[in-house]
Amino acid sequence: MRIVIVGGGQVGSALARALAAGHEVFVIDDDPVVADAFTTLDVEFIHGSGTSESVLARADVKKAQFFVACTGLDEVNVVACAIANRIGSPETICLVSRADFISESGKAEGLEQFGINRVLWPEAQLAADIEQVVIAPGAIDAEAFAGGIVRLLEYRLEAGSRLTAAPLGALHLPRGSLIVAVKRGGRLFVPRGTTHLAAGDKIILMGTPDAMHEVEAIVHPGGRRGRQQVTIIGGGDVGLQVAERLEKSDAVNVRIMERDPVRGAVLAARLTRTLVLNGDGTDLEFLESENVGRSDVLVCVIDNDERNLLASLLGRQLGVPKIITRVSRPGNLRLFERVGIDVALSARGAAVASILHQISGGSSSLLAVLEHGEARVLELTVSPRFQARELKRIGTPEDVIVAAILRDGRAIVPRGDDRVEPGDRILVFSTGEAVERVQAYFGGTGG
Amino acid sequence: MRLSLVVHVCGLLIRVFGLMFLAPLALALAYREFSDAAGFAVSGAFTVATGHAMRRAGGVPAETAVEGMRRVEGLAVVSTAWLLIAQFAALPYMWAGMGPIDALFESMSGLTTTGATVIRDFSQVGRAMFFWRSLTQWLGGMGVIALFVAVLPRLAIGGRELFFAEAPGPDDEKVSPQIRRTAAMLWRLYAGLTLLQVIALWVVGFSIYDAVCHAFTTLAAGGFSPHPLSIAGYQNPAAEWVIIVFMFLAGANFALQYRALTRRDFRIVARDEEIRAYTGIVIAATVVLVFVLGGTMAIGDNVRTSLFQVLSIVTTTGYASVDFQLWNDQAKVVLLGLMFIGGCAGSAGGGPKVVRHVLLAKFTLQELRRTLHPRAILPVKLGGRVVPPTVLQGVIVFFLFYMLTFAVCSFIVVLLGADIVTGISATAATLGNVGPGFNQVGPMGHFADLHPVSRIVLTLAMWIGRLEVLTVLVILRPEAWRSGRWSADSARAAG
Repeated sequence: MRIVIVGGGQVGSALARALAAGHEVFVIDDDPVVADAFTTLDVEFIHGSGTSESVLARADVKKAQFFVACTGLDEVNVVACAIANRIGSPETICLVSRADFISESGKAEGLEQFGINRVLWPEAQLAADIEQVVIAPGAIDAEAFAGGIVRLLEYRLEAGSRLTAAPLGALHLPRGSLIVAVKRGGRLFVPRGTTHLAAGDKIILMGTPDAMHEVEAIVHPGGRRGRQQVTIIGGGDVGLQVAERLEKSDAVNVRIMERDPVRGAVLAARLTRTLVLNGDGTDLEFLESENVGRSDVLVCVIDNDERNLLASLLGRQLGVPKIITRVSRPGNLRLFERVGIDVALSARGAAVASILHQISGGSSSLLAVLEHGEARVLELTVSPRFQARELKRIGTPEDVIVAAILRDGRAIVPRGDDRVEPGDRILVFSTGEAVERVQAYFGGTGG
Repeated sequence: MRLSLVVHVCGLLIRVFGLMFLAPLALALAYREFSDAAGFAVSGAFTVATGHAMRRAGGVPAETAVEGMRRVEGLAVVSTAWLLIAQFAALPYMWAGMGPIDALFESMSGLTTTGATVIRDFSQVGRAMFFWRSLTQWLGGMGVIALFVAVLPRLAIGGRELFFAEAPGPDDEKVSPQIRRTAAMLWRLYAGLTLLQVIALWVVGFSIYDAVCHAFTTLAAGGFSPHPLSIAGYQNPAAEWVIIVFMFLAGANFALQYRALTRRDFRIVARDEEIRAYTGIVIAATVVLVFVLGGTMAIGDNVRTSLFQVLSIVTTTGYASVDFQLWNDQAKVVLLGLMFIGGCAGSAGGGPKVVRHVLLAKFTLQELRRTLHPRAILPVKLGGRVVPPTVLQGVIVFFLFYMLTFAVCSFIVVLLGADIVTGISATAATLGNVGPGFNQVGPMGHFADLHPVSRIVLTLAMWIGRLEVLTVLVILRPEAWRSGRWSADSARAAG
């Protein structure tokens, strides 16, 4: 397949690296310095503007199947996609970093007129993910799917947890929830009725919001006590969006720390209830003077991995129970978790995974990547030709779990005797590279 | 500052103001009050002639000069024009036999929508003269100069500085990007509301004459009444309710009302922080007053009277539906406190304005928070928007000068022989453009027995209060004139 990537930044280079082996990849960037990063890759680098028709013609956009615009400038990305759409008919994927092109409903309807097939806003996605993790006490990862009617939570089990008392089959988890995976000793597996959980295990659960509330009460019996104190370090796009999301809830008190006083003034103007502090989040004295150790959650979203790591470790030192950190370079993810950061999230990593999935997988859509790619959540539509039958008679492979059936705007967390019908949308949790097999089972035609 | 331009534009404004005498003239003729009619005719002619002469004397600068009006020139024009217009508006009173100090006091009280009076005997005053008194308030309520900006094509551009110099709120709010349209639309709304009130008052039993006079002075938040006992003289509870409603509107931001009406979206009113604070203050003060006055009258009368009096003072109207001079000191101190609040910015109300209190309160709270978090960035916001520090400084300076002016004036008035309560309340009531105070200057009393110098001082207090202190004080600074002369000279040298 021919794939054209405009923009050779972090997203562009990660995509090129992953796609070079199997596809004809063209990378366009007007910065000659960027070219160096691609000399070692088996891709064609074109020096020029992605909004110039002649440059795009040199990459032979007419024959391209995919066109990804991921420069740092939203306008450039939009225009590049529009031109590509006029020259040929590739699937266009456009990255944006500001709300300007997104309508209030969170959709990007306006951009469809430009011939853009898909708009990705990694920072907004990351902010939404961070919010989910913050508001779930005790959870080390959290996601919401299908407009919030299905939630996913990940916990690390502590000694004495009720879940370690008996094998899973005897635990009677709330109806509407499901343990989809267990990670023990570096190995991720799908549990069975006989699996006996132990302290130190990480478990991933999916279910309806109501059921997940009950789960929270079981896994994290301390529950919610008073208002949650959240401290955000770093007032960039992500920090601002996280603060905006969190301050809507009365149950949360938010503070945000920003080093640059000018940016701080912008934050203070945009945010209503959040306290904006002008100071360096990696300055221990400052953190102590503001009693950061008393926070329930520390969110580190500085746009620099080193300083972020430092801020996170200082927070840990001061005794913050839960720390969420943004990682810019996907390669650093594992390192962060190894030094004890509970939740390390990468916006661009998620965007890259999502684009790769679209390019290679095709028909289903990737909703989340968990545990550094060891597990995925996919959404797909059951083919109209699929013969309706009960879940236990479908015989999905061991590493694939149907976590939810979405029908008439409701989510059903299925048991063995629930039926999957043609036209249903289903959320599938899978470990390993089971994407193609999953689609084959349901004759999936994309979500 | 270009003096010739100031004189020219003042002349322009005064000439138009001369035409306003036609209305009372017609009425005087209709009522066969021929002496007063002659007074209006002479005053009008003299005003038009003087205005014309000033316009000429100003050297008739090219239209471009008016367009290039600077802020300080706008302030000078507005301050001077107000002072001069008050002199001309005083002419009919002098014709009718008032002394010059009293005539100026009465006319300034009218134009600034204060409502303080020096008339001892209402029976000696003709109906057309009372109408003139009400008309001056109505013109002053929305702003004489705003009206002229709306109608004089010459001021289409320079009018911007004039408009904001006359209504210097902390927020430059407009309903149209064009200042002429803004002024015209606000005046239209103002006139429409006035008409509504005339009808409402007529329906509840007022004569057309009384309805017009009171509608003029209600919407202007003025408070003049042709009746010596003010509203109390009519003993008409339904009319009191009508006036309560329109006083409330007069004290609320007209630009906001305009937008709510044209967009048919009243949520923007409910969301507005100033209106909420204004409503809260009215309700809170009414509750306190009802409580304090409890037992002196039936509960229904108590609520109506308390609400009426609270609105009358907070909007700086100054009507009295009862003689609140007879109330106890607890009730009076509530009213005295309200004199220092005033209406909303962009309303007809005077005083320091609710929005300034809101900003000051927010600023104080933020400073308190800052002691807890020394590194915090704590902007003061109004309606979700950050208020620039310069505006906050302006608010603080405004309060400083307001209180300073208040202190100096009340000092003088008391030194010149008034008792303390009279002195303080008279100053608060004139500086805040409220009208009546307590004791000697109570709602059924008058200012005529104060020392002549006190009356002059209070006349100036009304002027300063109406133009919100700084407009006046700025042009009293020598630099305002010196820097202008320098720039005019250098311009001439360059030309």
